[in-house]
Amino acid sequence: MRSPSPSLLGLVGRAALGALVLVAVVGPLLSLGLWSVAERWHWPAPFPQQVGMKYWSRMLQGDPLRALTRGVTIASVTTVLALAMAVPVAYLAARRRLPAGPLALALFILPQAFPQLPVFASATVLFYRWNLAGTVPGVVLIHLVGGLVYAVWTLTAAFRSIGPELEEAAQNLGASTTRTFFRVTLPLAMPGVVASAILVFLHSLDEFNGTLLVGAPYVTTLPVYMYTASLGYELQIASVTALVLMVPGVVLLLLLERFLRAEYLAFFGHL
Amino acid sequence: MEVRVEGLVKRYGRVLALAGVNHVFPSGALTAVVGPSGCGKTTLLRVLAGFVQPEEGRVWMDGRDVTGVPPQARRCALVFQNYALWPHMTVFDNVAFGLRLQRLPASEVERRVREALALVELDRVPGIERRRPKELSGGQQQRVALARALAVRPGLLLLDEPLSNLDAKVRQRVRGEIRTLQRRTGITTVYVTHDQEEALSIADDLVVMDGGRIVQSGRPEEVYAHPEDPFVAEFLGSTNVLNGTVGPDGRILPSSEGRLLFRAEDTALWPAGQSLPPDYAWAPAEVVDCLFLGHVYRAYVRLGDTVVLADTKARVGPGQVVVAVPRDRLLVFSGSEPAARR
Amino acid sequence: MNRWERWGWTLAALPAVLVLLVTFGLPLAQSLAASFVRDGRPTLENYALVYRLYRQDVLYTLGVAAAGVLLTFACGIHLAGYFRLRAWPWVEFLLKVPLFVPFVVTGHAMRVFLQPSGTLSLALGALGLVAPGTRLGLGEGWLGLVLALTWKHLALVVLLLVGAFRAVDDSYLEAAQGFGAGYLRQTWAVLVPMSATPLALACVLTLTSMLGSFSIPLLMSRGSGPQMLMIDLYYRFGQHGDFGVASALGVISYVLASGAVYAYLRSVAR
Repeated sequence: MRSPSPSLLGLVGRAALGALVLVAVVGPLLSLGLWSVAERWHWPAPFPQQVGMKYWSRMLQGDPLRALTRGVTIASVTTVLALAMAVPVAYLAARRRLPAGPLALALFILPQAFPQLPVFASATVLFYRWNLAGTVPGVVLIHLVGGLVYAVWTLTAAFRSIGPELEEAAQNLGASTTRTFFRVTLPLAMPGVVASAILVFLHSLDEFNGTLLVGAPYVTTLPVYMYTASLGYELQIASVTALVLMVPGVVLLLLLERFLRAEYLAFFGHL
Repeated sequence: MEVRVEGLVKRYGRVLALAGVNHVFPSGALTAVVGPSGCGKTTLLRVLAGFVQPEEGRVWMDGRDVTGVPPQARRCALVFQNYALWPHMTVFDNVAFGLRLQRLPASEVERRVREALALVELDRVPGIERRRPKELSGGQQQRVALARALAVRPGLLLLDEPLSNLDAKVRQRVRGEIRTLQRRTGITTVYVTHDQEEALSIADDLVVMDGGRIVQSGRPEEVYAHPEDPFVAEFLGSTNVLNGTVGPDGRILPSSEGRLLFRAEDTALWPAGQSLPPDYAWAPAEVVDCLFLGHVYRAYVRLGDTVVLADTKARVGPGQVVVAVPRDRLLVFSGSEPAARR
Repeated sequence: MNRWERWGWTLAALPAVLVLLVTFGLPLAQSLAASFVRDGRPTLENYALVYRLYRQDVLYTLGVAAAGVLLTFACGIHLAGYFRLRAWPWVEFLLKVPLFVPFVVTGHAMRVFLQPSGTLSLALGALGLVAPGTRLGLGEGWLGLVLALTWKHLALVVLLLVGAFRAVDDSYLEAAQGFGAGYLRQTWAVLVPMSATPLALACVLTLTSMLGSFSIPLLMSRGSGPQMLMIDLYYRFGQHGDFGVASALGVISYVLASGAVYAYLRSVAR
């Protein structure tokens, strides 16, 4: 007869599964951590011969710092633009008043479906023609592709969750649609707007494919800088940069795990 | 299979779902467990099935302690309230699921599935074994769920509100069929419901639960006629409750010392002023309304500051009457406060 | 909403549409057109070149993506089933971490971890599981790529599948458990078929994402042997300046992504 307490096999299996997941998920990230503090690490020693923060302090000056500040600037501009442009689209979509609705919405989801690289390569050709290649505005434009998609969908979900009866109550008292939107709907949707902004900001900060094609070598953000360092076998520099790039996302995961809805999380899979 | 439970206790957070339940479910009988929602009846059923582990207490099946035994090793079959028929499987695959897990040969599986479908009289519907659950009516789904449970020849059949998803007409019919089926197979059955009429009509053995406890159990006629507890009396049948006592002359006097309970069908209305036989308790009252229920009329009678119900053969007009209840149908409880449990 | 307000809102919505048309719609159309043009003349020569130079890489890409999807779902289904049946929040949380690790960082981390002299070889050597000094060649070939792609995509797949599995009512599982079905049987006979639609959707999205993966193979590949399609495209475009062949490669990737396009369009039509 089986006992209800977990069998020995079950417990061993559970422990093994936990250990495997831990090693598989944390292992690669841990090796980044090791490399980021390895001032000297000659193969095949299992640990660095000399450990220090030399490469971390280098992060705070020169090229990497410039890449970081430029990336944050680009991400800020992208976030403001994406939200400002996405709000009307999302509101009309949530209230099913978007002209040519399904067609317009298709435009805002297809960038998710198509492979990015060939489209961005083609955009680069156009940007060269328009003198946008290698400029900050060009990079912002490329970041807006993903940024607009994320913003429109998260904001549509946020607006849709606000019952139309709340707006109707305001309109019933004589407020115009626009006034109602700014006084009732937008304040109520603020948590969704904030989530949307965070999502767009992170997308822009981490964007690599478009930045590499449109921006490089004149506009370098942190992901591109990390790629160059990794390719040049500057493993310490690349690892430090990689860890810095992970910080915002992991902090967000830790802080917002309870609040972020699954559909928002799903977007991160495409970063 | 005789099932015995002793001292079952189960908490969900701060809610006491089972507060020390003791009972013997007789072998071969259909025991109906009835009570209001939240009384612990479903938890009791899930403890019997093995899906819920009690914090205290033991479960015996045929004298064997099965308290820690997982569901699959208990020879219990549970019919779920929503039937839980797997939507992606045909009727045949649904019924065959348990048999295939027992690694029976295909021919035996086929034979047992047909046998189970015949038992619930689904064999008359041609080709039903190839259909999927959503192509069946509610009543048919219910029968498939029963067939799936019976196919594995369980020692104990557990039914969780099996009729609650059916409409009223079908419910009456399926109720009778479940009764017949249980008689024919002789499987020990525990039937959970919140519907007192359903429980009374179907049970060999009736268990009334409230607040995680068994309040009373016994033959349904016995429990109905002799409730040991105001709650049972109120729960079963249309029962009037009055705060009062019976005086030496049989007159009902308002009082906070006692509670009087009597059923609408035991309540007679006599013309005002007429003298009553001595074995009646009575009180002057006023008819306020009278509704036609089909088989009887139900009069609403104002008695002091409460309204009591009385079932009569003929319509009664508004006016003064005497409410009369045979003394042996009157339940007298001391104290007017509701039982602490409620 | 009166007529004027309606016009105002529509006007306000226009910039977003214009930006996407210029940065996505127009480039998409241009790459379609450019794939049929060489030296200013309409031709199929670009596709002929793709067939001659890259047909092995197309198969390689399909193979890597298929292996990645198989591995991701083999792990994902069992993990999601396990989390559904026996809750284990901290491991579930741990698995979500790669969701927030950008693709480039994944590529670099996997390169450091899996390359022949990487940390995995060192760790296994230090633990005595392989002879110290062994160089495991996981990182450079298709296997390393499959592992890296799986590492990144597993988080999203588990997230989607756990969501779908949690939507299956307990009674369906308990009914199976009562008949003696264990964890594997409950997962495969009940959870998987009852979540067929979200499962198929997750499958299509993962496949498309892996077929179009760029930064992970860019950081992991050695530059010799068969390459992923996007790497070919990048070099054809960036180093040869051959927009025609690059566009033909792009159009092939669009065709391979048609499953995802269909899935997304259907979700919009709903």
